[in-house]
Amino acid sequence: MSYVVVLDNGGGYIKAGIGGDRDPSVVVPNCIGRPSASSKKWLIADQLQSLEDPTSVALRRPFDRGYLTNPDLQKDIWDRLLRSLHSPTSSSSSSLLLVEPLFNLPSAQRTVDELVFEDFGFRSLFVADSPSLVHLYEASRRPEGLVSRARCSLVVDCGFSFSHAAPVLQNFTVNYGVKRLDLGGKALTNYLKELVSYRSVNVMDETLIMDDVKEKLCFVSLDVPRDLQIAWKQGKNNKFKCTYVLPDGVTHTKGFVKDWDEAKRYLNSADQRSYESGHLDAAEQLEDRKRNRIDLTKNEFNLSNERFLVPEMLFRPADLGMNQAGLAECIVRAVNSCHPNIHPVLYESIILTGGSTLFPQFAERLYNDLRPLVPDHYQVKITKQEDPTLGVWRGGSLLASSPDFESMCVTKAEYEEFGSARCRRRFFH
Amino acid sequence: MDEEAPGSMRRTSSRTRKVASKMAAALASSDNRMQAELARLEALENDNAGIEAVEVNDDDDASLDDEDELAFYEITVDVVIKGDNCVAIADFHNSIAVHLKRQMKNSKRKTRQAKALEARKAPRTFMELLQEANLEALPPHVPSYLRAAVGPPSSTSRRYFCTVCGFTANYTCVRCGVRFCSIHCQVVHNDTRCLKFVA
Repeated sequence: MSYVVVLDNGGGYIKAGIGGDRDPSVVVPNCIGRPSASSKKWLIADQLQSLEDPTSVALRRPFDRGYLTNPDLQKDIWDRLLRSLHSPTSSSSSSLLLVEPLFNLPSAQRTVDELVFEDFGFRSLFVADSPSLVHLYEASRRPEGLVSRARCSLVVDCGFSFSHAAPVLQNFTVNYGVKRLDLGGKALTNYLKELVSYRSVNVMDETLIMDDVKEKLCFVSLDVPRDLQIAWKQGKNNKFKCTYVLPDGVTHTKGFVKDWDEAKRYLNSADQRSYESGHLDAAEQLEDRKRNRIDLTKNEFNLSNERFLVPEMLFRPADLGMNQAGLAECIVRAVNSCHPNIHPVLYESIILTGGSTLFPQFAERLYNDLRPLVPDHYQVKITKQEDPTLGVWRGGSLLASSPDFESMCVTKAEYEEFGSARCRRRFFH
Repeated sequence: MDEEAPGSMRRTSSRTRKVASKMAAALASSDNRMQAELARLEALENDNAGIEAVEVNDDDDASLDDEDELAFYEITVDVVIKGDNCVAIADFHNSIAVHLKRQMKNSKRKTRQAKALEARKAPRTFMELLQEANLEALPPHVPSYLRAAVGPPSSTSRRYFCTVCGFTANYTCVRCGVRFCSIHCQVVHNDTRCLKFVA
């Protein structure tokens, strides 16, 4: 029995598992880290997840701007990953389905081929891109749905390094229609780091902690001017203010949100009547002040408008000084580069995937931004994947378990005979 | 933000033109501001491990290579002495392995092949790879990394947020061009943060 290893090699996380399974068996960060400047030992991928103290971990990643730039590092990470993954067989008897970024550079393709066939010795290789796999997965989940009947969709993938809007037609990504926005989870984390360091505590070295802050506290605003007004208010009226406690290394080694109820208040902000902006009685006010005061003995910081201004950059990158259009316009341009006949179908089957779409209210905001840009007589329908980070892998798992998967692969013998460039022509991208 | 300081320092113009000193500063500053802006965007894609880290990893790689080589030796030893007395083999094998390991740790010897491999796989920045790929040379109908980038926004203009508190900023610092929203924030800005991004 031969295995197909499905490897979604993202810039942020690697998702790996055996083809045919429902979920990947390994999800680890695609990086190595060193806990502190004093120790010489670099921890690889899954060792980082079990790290007790995440303060000032220096990180190095094999990916830069979404593309493989450090194959040595990648080899070390894969080495560890594959060893933990498939104990029953060795890689020489299994195939590999690898997810590569769109428009991968020829030199990166060559080094990946060398890694796969020469260093790891896989029997065969299939290279896929994420939009087509997401489409495949969504189409198979709802055989009666529009995505599978029209056989086309528009996949919006907001990942770690960048965001893509990619039309997919008949299971193939329409490569001339793909539009890229150079903003992803990594830039957002760094932006949050910059804001917090500039305004309260220096956290420039705390990538892991700020990742956690971003995931737990950031959300997408549905109405930025209104929310800025609310964030401007003092005391209890400010529904966005919340406190994050940094680890102190003694009583707690993980950072945490000080008060979850406080952090969740933004969710009913649309419902203006439910809260009264009137007076607070004295005791409450005192208690409120006590809670909101920054305790300098503990390492903590307050967040208010940063919580929604950070993800906001995906929708208005110009605010950051980038000369790029926001996500909604990205989608419109991607659709417009396809044949007019499929425009209505594409607008009606927008699929959101990638870790950065996990921000609360992301889909609603995207709809609000997109609706005015789309002709009136077209419907706009945005579907969120249920597990945006795993959607690509699941599509890969499906593809790997299909009967004619082996025939689509490039085998080791073919690679040795023809070399990398010839073999790559088989995958249409 | 400290690492972007040298980049923007380099750009001070060396022209000699008869202008008032303040005027000259203002002329140079717009360029500096642009540079600082770009450097800041660049910094958003950075990891926090510096250059010194690369060295450490080189060591790691070397040791990994050695281990690979060691495994190779072990296998050959196995093959050569197959069929002899088992206990003796195990002992002999161990001693050879230890010996080889020690030798390698001492000399840090690298084969020619290993060196070639290293040169091939040396980590490079994405920009270098992009330049090497020479995507501009492709005919205009071929989709590529460069052409997939979404262009400038068509309808929306830039909004400015106060760098001190994050609210809508209506004022610009005359010295460094950073935005702030009120007198209060201006005071904070002037005291601690002015010229932080530019100088």
